[in-house]
Order: sequence, then C-alpha cells, then structure tokens
Amino acid sequence: MPKIVRKSAPHLRRPNASVTRMMRDVTIALLPLTAFAIYKFGLAALWIILMGIFAMAVTEYLYYQVLDLLEGESFKWRNKSFTLYNFSAITSGLIYSLTLPDNTPLFVVFLGGSLGMFLGKLVFGGMGQNIFNPAAVARVLVVINFGTMVSYDVDSVAGATALQMLSEGAFNPAVLDSFSIVNLFTGIGIPGSIGEVSALLIILGGAYLAFRTSFEVRIPLMFVGTVFLLTSAVAIYQGLGLWYPFYQIFSGGLMFGAVFMATDPITSPITKPARVYFGFALGFLTVIIRLFGAYPEGVVFAILIMNMFVPSFDYYKWTHSKFNKKRNIIFASVIVLSMIIVLVGVSYVG
Amino acid sequence: MIKKSRKVRDYKALTKALPTLRYLDPEYVYIHLNNARAKTYDLYVKEGDYVKLGEKIGVRHGGFFEQPIHATVSGVVGPITKKFHRTGRKVDVVEIRNDFKDTYHPSITDRPDHVIEQLSQEDMVDIIKDKSLVGLGGSGFPSYIKLGTKDPIHTVVINAVECEPYLSSDYRLILEHPNRVVKGLKYIMQALGAEKGIIAIKSEKDPLYEVLTQVLKVRFPDLHIEVAKLGNHYPQGWEIEVFKYALGIEIPHGVLPTKFGVIGFNVSTCVGIFDAIKHNLPVIKRHFTLTGDAINFPQNIRVRVGTSVRDLIKLSDGYKEGVEEVNIVMGGPMMGVSATSDDIIVSKTTTSVIVLKNTEYVEEPCVRCGSCVYSCPVSIEPVQIMNAVKRGDKDAMKGLQANKCIECGLCAYVCTSKIHVTDYVRKAKKLIG
Repeated sequence: MPKIVRKSAPHLRRPNASVTRMMRDVTIALLPLTAFAIYKFGLAALWIILMGIFAMAVTEYLYYQVLDLLEGESFKWRNKSFTLYNFSAITSGLIYSLTLPDNTPLFVVFLGGSLGMFLGKLVFGGMGQNIFNPAAVARVLVVINFGTMVSYDVDSVAGATALQMLSEGAFNPAVLDSFSIVNLFTGIGIPGSIGEVSALLIILGGAYLAFRTSFEVRIPLMFVGTVFLLTSAVAIYQGLGLWYPFYQIFSGGLMFGAVFMATDPITSPITKPARVYFGFALGFLTVIIRLFGAYPEGVVFAILIMNMFVPSFDYYKWTHSKFNKKRNIIFASVIVLSMIIVLVGVSYVG
Repeated sequence: MIKKSRKVRDYKALTKALPTLRYLDPEYVYIHLNNARAKTYDLYVKEGDYVKLGEKIGVRHGGFFEQPIHATVSGVVGPITKKFHRTGRKVDVVEIRNDFKDTYHPSITDRPDHVIEQLSQEDMVDIIKDKSLVGLGGSGFPSYIKLGTKDPIHTVVINAVECEPYLSSDYRLILEHPNRVVKGLKYIMQALGAEKGIIAIKSEKDPLYEVLTQVLKVRFPDLHIEVAKLGNHYPQGWEIEVFKYALGIEIPHGVLPTKFGVIGFNVSTCVGIFDAIKHNLPVIKRHFTLTGDAINFPQNIRVRVGTSVRDLIKLSDGYKEGVEEVNIVMGGPMMGVSATSDDIIVSKTTTSVIVLKNTEYVEEPCVRCGSCVYSCPVSIEPVQIMNAVKRGDKDAMKGLQANKCIECGLCAYVCTSKIHVTDYVRKAKKLIG
C-alpha cells in the first residue's frame, strides 16, 4: 500500500520543457558563430571566449557560495543555491565575449564580464529577476570604461569598420568599395567584433532557436524589420540605392543583438503584442543612435534602454495578450510617426 | 519553450481500446447524503429498513433546489458514516447492504414511445427533477434547471469531447451505447423545441464518428443531428470552447449560452436523461475510468453508484509494485481534486479515479518565457497574476482579470520552469473574491 500524497491540480506537466533546455539551446545556436570566430581570429578569439565565459560563471558561482556561507550553510562544491547547471551564466558569457573585438586585453574581458554579471544580474536577485541583459551590461561597461584599449583591428586600406565608415561618411555609396553586401552578409573579410560579423551564421542560429521554440522570433523580426524600414525611408529620401538598408542591417552588431540579446525572455515583455512593440522600439532607437548619436553602434544601448521600459509594457492597466484592431491602428500610426521623425532628423543632419 | 502550446499528452491508450468491465454487484453501496452543492439533507429511512432499487430514500437541500436521493441497489439500510466525496471533503453517506436481487421499486416502469412523444418541456423537467439528474460530467449542476430554460433554443450540443488526459469513459459509453446517446439528445431537443442537435467529438476519435453517423443514418434518418469533429487541443471540452469550434459562436465571459440560443449537455447527462425519461430510472450506474501509471490494470468499469473505489482498485489488481507515493485524483488529471485516501465512493458525478505516481517537480525561477500567457484559453496573463499575488497587489489582480480564470491548469502544465502557476491564480481568485 503506497503512501497517498495530496496535491492540487494539474497533476501533469509538459515533458521536455525546462529552463536548462532553453538556455542550452542558445549556447548551441551560438556554436557556429564561435567556430567561425576562432577560424577567423585564431587563438585570440578562443582566449577571449574562454575568458568571457569564465568571468561570468566564476562570478555567479562565487556569489552564491558567499551567499550560502553567509546564511550559515556548510561549504560544498555544489552548494545549495548552485545555479551553473542551467547554462544561464555560460550563455551570457558566450554572448558577451562574441561581441568583443579581437584585440581586447584579457583582463578587460574578465573585468567587464565579472562586473556585468554582478551589476546586471546578481544584484537584482539572480536569474529571472534581472532588469538588464547581463551580456549587454558587460559590453557597455567595456565600451565606456576601456574604450581606448578596445579598438577594432582594421586593415590599413579601409581604416575603419563598416559601421564606422558609414557613420563618418554618411550616405556615401563609396563605402561599398570597401565592403560589399555579400561580404557583410557572410562575414568574410569584414573587421569587427569576433562573433558579430557573419549575418549568415547568426540567421542560422536564429533559425535553430525558432525551430526549437527557445526564443520569441517576433522580436528579432520586428527589430531588424524596423531598422530596414526606417533606413529604406532614409535611402529613398537621400536618393540612395537599396544597398543602404541592407548595409545597415548586416553591419555592426544589429543581427547579433537582435537574435541573441534582445530575445532574452527575462528582459523582454511577456505578451505577444508587447514583444512586437518592443522589437519595433528597439529598431527605432537603434536607427536614432546610429544616425544621430556619438557612437557608431546603437544596438547595445537600445537594448539596455528598452530593458528599462519592459515593466511599463507589462503594466496591468494596459497589458493585453491579444492584438485588436484599435491597438493595431495606433501601432501603425506610431510606425508612420517614427518614419517622419527619422526623416526630419536626417534633413537637419544630412 | 516559448510557444502557444495547447496539446496535452493524453495517455488514453491505457484504457481506450479495452471493453468496459462490468462490476455492478458490490456487497455494500454507500449513498452520499450531502455534497458540495447541497449541504443539508433529510433521510426517510432508518437502519434496518428494506429499500428497493430506485426508491426515494431521502432528499438533499441545496441553496436553490432540492434533490431526491435514490437507492441504487435493493437491500437493507445500514448506519450513516463519513466518506470522501469527489470534491475532496468528507461527507455523510448511508450504507445499503445489497441483497443481490435488484428488486425494482414499483415507480420504475418504462414509458411507451407514444407517451414520450406527448411530453412537454414541463413534464420532462418534472421527471428529471424527480430523478435528481445532475451534470454527470462533473459539474453536478441540476439538469432540470438547465432543461427548464425559458430562452428560445435552436441548437442542442452534446459535449463528448473529453479533452482531459487519461479519461475514456465517455468514449466507451458512445462506442457501446450510441442509441441511448442519440435518443437522449432527441428527448432534449423535443423538450426545448430545438431544430438542431450536434454531438461534438474530438477529431482524432474516428471510431466514434463512424459509429454515430452509422446509427444516425440507419436508425434516426429523420432527425436533424450532426456529428461535429472538433480540435484535439486542451481545453476543447470546456463548454465555451465547444460552442466556439462547433458553431462559431463566441460567448463572452459571464453570459449564459442560452442567451445565444444554444445549450450544452455532457454526453453522460444525455444518457441519464434517456434513462430517466424512457425507463423512469434515476442514475444508478455509470461509466467510470480507473486508470493511471501506478495501477496494474487500467480499465473502464460500469459501476453501481455508491461503489467503493478501494474495491475497484482491488479489482484492477491493486497498485503497481515498487511505487512508494501516489496521487489519487478524482476527475481528470488537469482539473481533478486529489484525495488523501483511497476510501472514496463513486458518486453520480465521479467520472474517474486516476492513480498517478507522485512526482515532485523542481521549480526553477520564472524566466518570463510567456508560454502561460500564449497558451491561456481565456487570454489572461497567469505569470503576471502570480507576481501580483506574490506582492499582494489586489488592484493588479483585478486589473489582470484573474476572475476570468477557468482553472484548466494549462498554465502550470506548459510552464518552462515547472512553477505551479495555476495555484497562484486560484489564490488570486480567492483574494479578489
């Protein structure tokens, strides 16, 4: 006669669904990019990647060890609040290190990763509680604090990365002489961060995640789509060809940020419509920062800024889990308005 | 996994294909005297009295209705004790010792068809009230109130979807007694003056479709009854969802379906109505599923109302060897109530008992994947309600419409972090009343 245990319904759970599976899938989706980075940048990339993962994982591990010791637990290698098994820290570390340039000093990689993990995730209470994407926080810390030590190793002919060129010589088709669209798409012969240069492999990783339903595909689609739409409007206004929007979406960290950073479920809104609006807002902010900001790259900043607004997307007074006609009309007018804002801005700058 | 996911693994293969076992002669039956809807009762018989099958032995008093209590065997009345009810509470039961003679009470006589044809809505409501028929799918709502509706009804829908995993008693019922289902529907349509009847089944249940269409074609060619194949998702069997898929009518929260001219009955209730009207019989037997992964011989059983589940578990060769902890669930595994003992009595509304191996799920922190929001059949946001409960924010619970929740359990089922979201939403419903 077995013991009878009382529980509340439902008594079944979905098989094969777990946080570990979701996070591990992101790591798997990043593997082709990692391989390409090591192939292209050699041992330097390997060391950066290992250091990035190490920095994040060790920070999280030590943090929870200290926390457990403070609560009077006895020391164990696999302690009570052990979290590394869920791949979350490893995934963040991998994403972070793939956004770095290949000549980043290793101590910078370590400091950025460790601080990013601590300030971006652990101080808020660990997984599920963080407001900012830890990888994005770490990346921004590196840009702001060690900006002079971290520069892109560009070849002497071009003298800049694709996006820097675009930022300096705004709206000049001459940029195509240095980097063709095909090269930008495949990442061959393009200087830049070790993991961000190949749009093709990023799309491959995204397709894998979409197939495994481990991320919300609407966010990257809206993000990239919005950038494409707004820069197309600029291209038409300035009389540029179709190369300009493609150049925008394939250069810099846009593809990588859209697929791997913006889609972190913890730092994105919870409903389908809000996720679509979130993706749009990310695209809009990226275009604004790229065209009018001081930095050539806007993706990471856009992600961090929008992370702050996630709670307001989910505020109970206006959150809805379904689209409806009225909200669609408002959203469409916001898109039109954003195009007007960008074009007015361009007419002043350009 | 971030996706809308309304497929629930159904485990019906355990019992679906097996013929229904008959276990109709327990030595004792126990008749519930009160239940969740009726708190007080009067008993007309005392210990030692002899009662006949179908005899009225008492009456339950509900808030707005009275329910006669019928003996389900003939025999001698025993003492009043307390046993578990489907709702998980202990209630009073009266024991009747079976004399194995099945002596029918004189009131149990068949009605000839020409008499039935003359019955009006009021007559049928009276019969059903007298036979104390309730929603046999598990709701326990008195059927005469539903049947006595004054709204004009054009379509009667028989809900045979049975979307809960593990259950297959309705499936077997239709497969083995399609005539009674169709005749019950015919009587309901006659009572309500409805032009059209629909029997709603899951699209994957092809044998039922073949059986029902064949019976309708051969035996009832002049009835306007259709068999509708609905989706295979959960909770397709929820009444509002049945109307939506079978008729394309979306009924808003808090509005009775009869306002739209449609009414739904569970298939067991429909058979109950047939028995009451044709044979003048109260519910004395029902199809019952005893299944689960911790029991040796999962099986559908036709049982006498009042049979002890403990006997039925013995009949199914008992619990599996080596299982240390089990959950005993009355009703489906998604919405059913779990008991603290196997000393349960099969009441009219007990569709099944499921014996599951107890699994302790490890809850991870919520990663806000949104699966519960995507999957929710009433389009609320379970995870946000959970967070509101955690911080005690009643305004947010109201604003997020926690009261719309039907407690289908899908949010906890799909949760990536294995969090018991449904429990939090239930708490929110209680808090905002």
